[in-house]
Amino acid sequence: MWHRLVGRFSFLFLLLAAPLVGAMPVHAALALNFSWPLNVGPLNPHLYSPNQMFAQNMVYEPLVKYHADGTVGPWLAESWQVSKDGRRYHFKLRKDVTFSNGEAFDADAVVANFNAVLANRARHAWLELVNQIVDVTADGTYDVTLTLKDAYYPVLQELALPRPFRFIAPSQFIDGGTMHGIKQPIGTGPWVLQETRLGEKDVFVRNDHYWGQKPSYGQITVKVIPDPNSRAIAFETGQVDLIYGTDGPISPDTFERFRKSGRYLAALSAPFESQVLALNTNRGPTRDLAVRLAINHAVNKDLIIDKVLYGTQKRADTLFAPNVPYADIGLKPYVFDPDQASALLEQGGWVLPKDGKIRMKDGKPLQIDLSFVGTDAVAKSISEIIQADLRKVGIDVALIGEEESSVYARQRDGRFGMIFNRTWGAPYDPHAFVSSMRVPSHADYQAQLGLPDKAEIDAKISQTLVETDEEKRRALYRDILTRLHKEAVYLPLTNVTAIAVAKPELGNIPFGAMASEIPFEKLVPAAP
Amino acid sequence: MTMLRFTVRRLLFLIPMLFVASVAIFLMLRLGPSDPAMDYLRLSRVPPTPQALENARQMLGLDLPITVQYFNWLGDALHLDFGVSYALQRPVLPDILYYLPATLQLAGVALLLTLGVSIPLGMCAARHRDGLPDQFVRLVAFLGVSMPNFWLGFLLVWLLSIELGWLPPMGRGSWSQLIMPALAIAFMSLSINARLLRASMLEVTGQRHVYYARLRGLGAGRVERSHILRNALLPIVTATGMHIGELIGGTLIIESIFGWPGIGRYAVSAIFNRDYPVIQCFTLMMVLVFVLCNLIVDIVYAWLDPRIRLGVEEKA
Repeated sequence: MWHRLVGRFSFLFLLLAAPLVGAMPVHAALALNFSWPLNVGPLNPHLYSPNQMFAQNMVYEPLVKYHADGTVGPWLAESWQVSKDGRRYHFKLRKDVTFSNGEAFDADAVVANFNAVLANRARHAWLELVNQIVDVTADGTYDVTLTLKDAYYPVLQELALPRPFRFIAPSQFIDGGTMHGIKQPIGTGPWVLQETRLGEKDVFVRNDHYWGQKPSYGQITVKVIPDPNSRAIAFETGQVDLIYGTDGPISPDTFERFRKSGRYLAALSAPFESQVLALNTNRGPTRDLAVRLAINHAVNKDLIIDKVLYGTQKRADTLFAPNVPYADIGLKPYVFDPDQASALLEQGGWVLPKDGKIRMKDGKPLQIDLSFVGTDAVAKSISEIIQADLRKVGIDVALIGEEESSVYARQRDGRFGMIFNRTWGAPYDPHAFVSSMRVPSHADYQAQLGLPDKAEIDAKISQTLVETDEEKRRALYRDILTRLHKEAVYLPLTNVTAIAVAKPELGNIPFGAMASEIPFEKLVPAAP
Repeated sequence: MTMLRFTVRRLLFLIPMLFVASVAIFLMLRLGPSDPAMDYLRLSRVPPTPQALENARQMLGLDLPITVQYFNWLGDALHLDFGVSYALQRPVLPDILYYLPATLQLAGVALLLTLGVSIPLGMCAARHRDGLPDQFVRLVAFLGVSMPNFWLGFLLVWLLSIELGWLPPMGRGSWSQLIMPALAIAFMSLSINARLLRASMLEVTGQRHVYYARLRGLGAGRVERSHILRNALLPIVTATGMHIGELIGGTLIIESIFGWPGIGRYAVSAIFNRDYPVIQCFTLMMVLVFVLCNLIVDIVYAWLDPRIRLGVEEKA
C-alpha cells in the first residue's frame, strides 16, 4: 500500500516537474550592459509607445541635430537654406550615408519617410510641424525641399526630435508606409538592433556601415529590469554597467548612496526640464492672485531637494530654466519667505479665525487640493512637505493621490487646485510646451483659464510660433513668460536633471542634449 | 467508471464557475474610477483631445451598452482572442503564452521545494514533539507566514548576492538564478505545509489503528511510514492544490524583483498601466488555474481515498 502511495506521489512530482524540462537561454559575451524597464519595442521610427525613444535614437538619425547649447546643426543634411518668406527649406543631404543594410540614403528615401509620416497625420497632430508641412519633394539625388503653410519657426528643432522625422530604409516599409508596422528596424544610426528577447533583453551591435565616428563599444545589451531597486542591485553585483535616465531609474537615496561610496562615477546633467505645480486660476481659492503668490513664497524648495531628492535636482525659480532658449529674461524669483506669504494672504482678505489654524474669507476656508500620482513615492513626499509648509501660513492642503489616468483626467478637465506638471524638455521647450498651453486637454490651459488675459496670451503664442524676426520673437516670449510669472500660475519646484552612475572603467559619462537621448556612441572606456 | 463520472461531473461544474468569474472580472474593471479610453490614449502616447477620446471609445467598443461589451469580450475570449495590449500594442494571448513557461518553471521548482522541504520538516517536528526540532519548525513557520515574499526576496539578494556574492541576483538562464526566487515564493507554502503535516501526524498518531499496529509489534519506522504518514498526507494534498495557485500568484512581485521574464512581471506592469486587455486575460487565467488546481486535488483525493468518491456516489 505504501509503495502504491509513493508511486502515485512520484507520478504527481513528475507531472509538476514537466515544465522544468527545456533548454534555457545562454547569454552571449557582453560589451556594455544597460537596463531599461521594458523591451525597446519594434523600433518603428514613425510611431510612439511601445517604441522606446532612447533606442529609436540609437538606430535612426535626423536631418539636423539638436545640441546641448540649444543650437541646431547639420547631421544627415550637411546644409540647408531657408526662403525669404520662411516657408521653404531646401536641404542638401550627405552623400556618404547608407542604411545599415547597405541601402542608399538619398532624397527619395527622405521623401518616402516624410510621406510615411504624413500618411498618418492625425496620429502626429500634436506636433505642429506635421500640420504645417504642405509638400516634400526630391529636387535631385541629394536635394530635398520642404514647403510649409506658414513661416513656422521651430522647423529645425522639431526635425531634430527622436520621432517621427527619422529615416528607415524604404525597403522595410509595409504596405508602402510605416503606419501598419515595419519589417526590420534598419536605420542609418551607429547601432543596429540585433536581437530581442521579450521580457529579457535587447541587443544592439555597432553599425559597420556607419558614416560617422564608429562607437568604441561593439555591443550594448539592454536588460529588462522594471524595478528601480532591482536595477540598483544589478548594478552593484556587476550585471549592469551603467544607470542613466531622467525618470527615476533608481531612487534619489540610492543615487546618493552610490555617490557617497566613492566606488562609482555618479554625475548629474544640466537641467533638462522643470517640475512645477500648476495652480488653477479658474477654480477654488487659487483663483485669487494673493493665494497663488503666497503659495510661491511659502514652499521651502531647498528642503524638498535636500530631504526628498538628495540633491539630484536643482531648485527651479521660473517655469523654464535659464538655459532654455528665450527663457533667460531675468524674472525675479519668489523667494522662500513664510512671513511675506502670510502678509499677502492678510492683504488678500484671508484671515486666521480666533483659535483657528486655517484662514477664512467670506466664511470659506482656505482649502486647496493637490493632485499627484498615488504610486509615485517621490511626488507623495514632495506633496507632504508642501502640505506642511502651506499649513504653516494657514492654507489647508488636501492631498489627492490617484491612479495616473485619474490625474490625467483632472489635468484635462481642470478638476484640480494644484497639480503636478512637467515641461517637455529640449528641444520642445519653450515652443512646443508653450504651444500646448492653447490646447484645452492640457493642465496649463486649464490652469490659465481664469486669467483675464488668457485669450491675449494664446494669441501671442500663435504669433510667436510664426514670427520670423528673431528680436520680435524674443520680445513675444518675454511678454508671455513675464505674464505667466507675474500671475504666479505655476509653483516652479525643481529643474529635473538626468542621473548617470557607472563603473569607473567606463570613463567619463557624457550626457545627451535631449532627455530621451543616451549617447552610447560617445562612451569611451577609461584607459587601464 | 465511478471515477470517470466523478471527474465529468466536476468538469461540468467549471462552466458556471468560470461564467460568474468572467462577469466579475469584466465588471470590476469597468466599474472602476478610471476611463479605459483615457488609459488607452495615455499608454499609446496620444494627446487626449475630445476627438481622440471619442475615436478611442468607438474603436474599443466602449460606446456600446455594457452588456453588449461583455458579450463581445466573452465571444472573443471563447475564440482565444483577448485583444491587443494598450501599452505594448501586441496581441495579449501570444505574449502570455510566451511568458508562461518561465513562470511554470519557477512555480514548479517552488512547488518541489515546498514538498521536498516541508514533508521532512513536518515529520521531524511531529517525531520530536515540543523538542528542539519542533521549536525550530515552529520558528520557520512563524517567519514563513509573517514575512511577505518580496521582503524575503530582498533579504536573500542582500545576503546571497551583495554580501556573499554566491548567487546572481536576477535573470533567467541558469539553475543558480532559480534558487532565490523559488525559495522566496516557496517559503510561506512550505512553512504552512510543515505545520499542517505535523498537526496531521500527531492527530493520526493518537488513533486506534496506530496503537494496534504498535501492539502487533511493528517497528517504529514502519508504523510511522505505513500507518501515520500515509493517512496524515491526505490534508497535504488539499493544501498543495491551493499552494499551486498561490505559487503562481506569488510570482507577481517576485518576478519583478528577480528580473524573471514570466507572466507575473508582465501582469504587474499591466496593472500599473491599467492595461485592461492584459489584466482581464491574466485574471481569467489565474481563476482557471485555481479552479483547475482544486479540481485536480479533488480528483487526486478521490483517487487516493476511495471513501471520497464512494461517498459522493452514495449521495448521488
